[in-house]
Amino acid sequence: MSRFFATGSDSETESSSSEEEVQIRPTVTQRVIQWDETEEETRRVVKSQRDKRFDEMKDMIKTMRNHKKIKDMANILDDFEDLGKAYEKAKKIVEKEGIPRFYIRALVELEDFVIECWEDRDARKSMSKNNAKSLTILRQKLRRYLRDFEKPVADYRESPDEPGMIDSEDEAEESDESESSSEEEELVVPSKSKFAKTTEAGNEEEEDDLDIWGSDTETSSSGDEDVKYTGQLTADYFRKKAPTEIEVDKSKKEEKRAERKREAKDKVESGDEEGEWEHVKGGAHMIKEKPKLFPKDAEINHEAICKKLRELISGRGKKGTDRSEQMELLYDLRNISKENDLGDAVYIKVTFSIIASIYDYNPNIATSMKSEVWDKCLTTIEEMLDILIANEDTIICAEHVEYDAENFSGPPPLRIRGCPLTVVERMDEEYIKMLQACDAHSTEYVERLKDENRVCTIIDKVDRYLEGRGTSNELCRVYMRKISHLYYKFDHQAMIKLRENKQKEKDVEKIIPSFLSDTLTTDKTEDKPMESRVIMDKLCKYIYAKDTTDWIRTRAILCHIYHHALHDRWFEARDLMLMSHLQDTIQHSDIPTQIMYNRAMVQLGLCAFRQGMIKDAHSCLVDIQSSGRAKELLAQGLLLQRQHERSPEQEKIEKRRQMPYHMHINLELLECVYLVSAMLLEIPYMAAHEFDARRRMISKNFHHVLRMSERMTLVGPPESMREHVVAASKSMKVGDWKACQDYLINEKMNAKVWDLFFDAENVRNLIIRKVKEESLRTYLFSYSAVYDSLDLELLAAMFDLDRPVVHSIISKMIINEELMASLDEPTRTVVMHRTEPTRLQSLALQLSEKVSSLMDNNEKMAEMKQGGLYQRQGGQGYQDDQRRQGYKRDGQGGYSGGYRRDGQGGGSYRRDGGGYRRGGQRGNYRDHGISIWRIDMFLSSFAVL
Amino acid sequence: MGVIVKEFDLIISANGTGVVLKIIKHCHEEGAGGRELVQGVLLGLVDKNRLEVTNCFPFPRHTEDEDFDEVAYQMEMMRHLRHVNVDHLHVGWYQSTYFGQFITKALLDSQFNYQHSIEESIVLVYDPLRTSKGHLTLRAMRLTPAMMKMYNEGDFTPEKLKVSSISFDSMFEEVPVCIKNSHLINALCSELDEILPEDNQYNFLDLATSNTLECNLRHLMEGVDELSQDANKFYNYQRQCVKQVQLRLQKKEQENQVRKARGEPLITEEELNKLIKPPQAPSRLDSLLISGQINSFSDQIKQFSSQSFGKLFMAESLQDHSCKE
Repeated sequence: MSRFFATGSDSETESSSSEEEVQIRPTVTQRVIQWDETEEETRRVVKSQRDKRFDEMKDMIKTMRNHKKIKDMANILDDFEDLGKAYEKAKKIVEKEGIPRFYIRALVELEDFVIECWEDRDARKSMSKNNAKSLTILRQKLRRYLRDFEKPVADYRESPDEPGMIDSEDEAEESDESESSSEEEELVVPSKSKFAKTTEAGNEEEEDDLDIWGSDTETSSSGDEDVKYTGQLTADYFRKKAPTEIEVDKSKKEEKRAERKREAKDKVESGDEEGEWEHVKGGAHMIKEKPKLFPKDAEINHEAICKKLRELISGRGKKGTDRSEQMELLYDLRNISKENDLGDAVYIKVTFSIIASIYDYNPNIATSMKSEVWDKCLTTIEEMLDILIANEDTIICAEHVEYDAENFSGPPPLRIRGCPLTVVERMDEEYIKMLQACDAHSTEYVERLKDENRVCTIIDKVDRYLEGRGTSNELCRVYMRKISHLYYKFDHQAMIKLRENKQKEKDVEKIIPSFLSDTLTTDKTEDKPMESRVIMDKLCKYIYAKDTTDWIRTRAILCHIYHHALHDRWFEARDLMLMSHLQDTIQHSDIPTQIMYNRAMVQLGLCAFRQGMIKDAHSCLVDIQSSGRAKELLAQGLLLQRQHERSPEQEKIEKRRQMPYHMHINLELLECVYLVSAMLLEIPYMAAHEFDARRRMISKNFHHVLRMSERMTLVGPPESMREHVVAASKSMKVGDWKACQDYLINEKMNAKVWDLFFDAENVRNLIIRKVKEESLRTYLFSYSAVYDSLDLELLAAMFDLDRPVVHSIISKMIINEELMASLDEPTRTVVMHRTEPTRLQSLALQLSEKVSSLMDNNEKMAEMKQGGLYQRQGGQGYQDDQRRQGYKRDGQGGYSGGYRRDGQGGGSYRRDGGGYRRGGQRGNYRDHGISIWRIDMFLSSFAVL
Repeated sequence: MGVIVKEFDLIISANGTGVVLKIIKHCHEEGAGGRELVQGVLLGLVDKNRLEVTNCFPFPRHTEDEDFDEVAYQMEMMRHLRHVNVDHLHVGWYQSTYFGQFITKALLDSQFNYQHSIEESIVLVYDPLRTSKGHLTLRAMRLTPAMMKMYNEGDFTPEKLKVSSISFDSMFEEVPVCIKNSHLINALCSELDEILPEDNQYNFLDLATSNTLECNLRHLMEGVDELSQDANKFYNYQRQCVKQVQLRLQKKEQENQVRKARGEPLITEEELNKLIKPPQAPSRLDSLLISGQINSFSDQIKQFSSQSFGKLFMAESLQDHSCKE
């Protein structure tokens, strides 16, 4: 003590000097802690931030007090300012614990002192100038400063600490002690009273505590509670009253303390008072022993459990609550209720709270549960649902049950408030989160994936529970959960059976007449009701019929489409997609739905491809693939954005949207299917429109890929999937179907892409067929000009196709006016009509078009020149006339002057004129009369050759 | 006496074929079939009003990032050549071309630099493709004095063009080229001619013309496209100008009214310019170059086709003749 004081007086003049503070602090804390710890000297406690700050402040207060004694106003002012700064530093702690009492006391004392000095006019006059000035400043500052503390100061003034304490020499310590002792009193009083005099009603405080454990006859109306409790809430009661009754203290501080107090009380209740509340003093989180929930001999009944439960729950979400401890306590509570045979209802009630606290366990939305917690969560939910299902008739558990309508004992039905569906939904979300969080290629992921079975069973259980009980809305929600676990899974069994069936059908049809086979096949479908298709149909149809929220229906439709497409039911899937009209509205829906839409669309495209609908496949995939952001659109990974960095929040949100890995659609497969379909469409198209100036690209992406490979200086043998497709396209361009096929279908590509399909062999055959057909078309487009006639047989042999197929393809081309030819049946040849312009001719045509557009431009320019000129000179009406005149003049050949002026060439103009004229006789360009235009003349004459 | 280009006749002289063959060899070896540009230096002498090119040497090929001092190389080369008593007057440069695409900004720039420092400099443009078809194509070009003046000023606004009345065909002037050999070489040539076995003489009757024409047409189209774009740009500029005129009038009116009210002097053009910036006129240089290029394409096509026509008529009559027989 004396040591402390000595150091304190050392710093009398320069209390703020940090050096000294450093020296002082350790000793001070030592002392203080010792006070706190009383007898337990052996324990050395690491100095907490709180202690450090408060000691600093206490130190300053002491210096200030010394200055006050000698009325050194200037120094008091300094001290006051330093103190204010120190307080600011300690703000965090203060926020947590309330304004320290000693600080308020110091302020009050200072205020009194200042007023006293101010009032004492004589003394003031006799003061040195410096001092007087300081006093005025101090007075003003203090007044301003105290405005923020009005309430605590008032509180303090109402119940000041005993003056004796203030007088004592080491005020700082004393005050601290007094503070802590007063605090302790609060805690001790009720607990002592409770155990010492169980029946006697002491002060109100005691009475309240008694109420908790005694009969619940005494009802005191507490207006603070919104919900009427049948019992009284100790913690709440205690908290609310304490500030006014025991000690009129800073209410804020008190409230902060309530948390600690409650815990302390728990300990007090557990029987050994002695050391326990000392612990509490040390900090709320220092509990080593697990506190007991009930006193040993307390009667445990429904009310008691409920009360306890509420008490525990009320700590939920508060800063000071130890979440894992809370969970433990809840588990204990549940066990107690079980031990005491209080019935399943209570058990379930507590279980709900347990699950809630498990969900709470993670304070951060973005992070996922730990696997142990998750396991616990699953078991708890399973258990709960089992009980619920077992007691279907006696227990009603629903969201609409009010708190006060809950009943846990007595005649059935028992009512509990709580919604198993919500619990399960949340669980499902957590599950997805966990999958998102772990590395898709780790064993951990596999472990988690194994849990899906359990998750599905749980959802099934909820479904069973809600069936017939829940509202249609709830049922829709459950179904949606079921669907979301079902839609992306490939029903292998069913597909194999389907294939076998088809095979059998074929065989059967050969032997048995068709009406018999009909019955046979219907039998087949009947004995496998668990086919996922049937389940999907059932669930989705229910949702279509009953759903009121739009988004569940939309999702269900998309999942249904996905499921259909996945199982090669192309027409169902397509019809569903078209009928839902989702294409029009999807951009207005939320992002997860849009992702779902993209997934469904992609699956639809893949399905179309497997069915050989190349065009459909292409149009399904083009949107996803053309942007080059397929990965992002399908939520299968984040893309690096070069233009604008996303903010961390955005990234978090996007990460939360990601699909778990096992639901991914293979992007390479997707790209390959897209490129192959683009190739099959684009290459013949390119060949057909080689000279068309206004040719449009079917697939920009495909062109891009082609161009990239063209730009390469050295084209090696293909390695990647893309290179294979490009190589295939190149050989297709020249009609070499064999090379094209070899590039598309080989071991590498099989392993990379094609084997991923369920019926890979079929898909390969289909591709081969398509390649042959399209190569034939390309060949005809590119080289028909070379032939006069073509033998069908020869073509069939060239492209390894049946003659009828070749025949039909060529017929189609003729009908569509793609090929100017006719079929000569007797000789089985295609006779070309030679109406297409030669390459040179079409080039010349193109040129003439370009030149005429150039001339248009020039004319516009000339007109503008004239117009602009006349506008400046003459009136508006005149202008029009003038322009026409000017135009006429131009038409007669007056251009060149104008052009020269513009820096354009007379030469280019000359050709312009020609081009224009040529445009006029474009129709009969074949009769190559001698054209005036010099280029044209040569061109058309060469065209004949 | 070599190739002689004179002040307005160019003669590649002394061993004229030597110079030409050197250029051809250079193109052949490094030009990648005419696709890559090759360049070199011409050496010779000026004799009254004719320029004789008597020797040449190529610029070595080097990559962009390679540190290579071309000037030092040239000086070194010329010094060495002087040691062996070769004409070392720098009289211009040569360049190969692909399908006659040579009227470019780069050519203009370097030719200007040459002509600026050595007045009688020429650029010799060699077309390997056409040469391989049997027409030795060697064109000597110079910038016209008017163009020199304009380029020096660096001003290619429409007004300026109008004033200096430069059009695409007055940018360059072509200098007639005459290849002269010493008599000894001529004698040798005649001798060789007799010794050599007569190869396919009817090569020149080749009728497969579409390929060359197609290529020319494609280039022509590109040119027309560019010109079209340029015209569009200019059109936009004109429209802007017209708008500006109106805007300026309006603004002037307003401002003057205000000023009158305040009793200040009326607004001047300069002040108005500050208020409203006149639109930036697009450079007409591109348009000039493209037009020139198009013109040269057209000329090429014309030449090529007129020759081909001759062949065609000949072939036709030959066929008729044989049919009759």
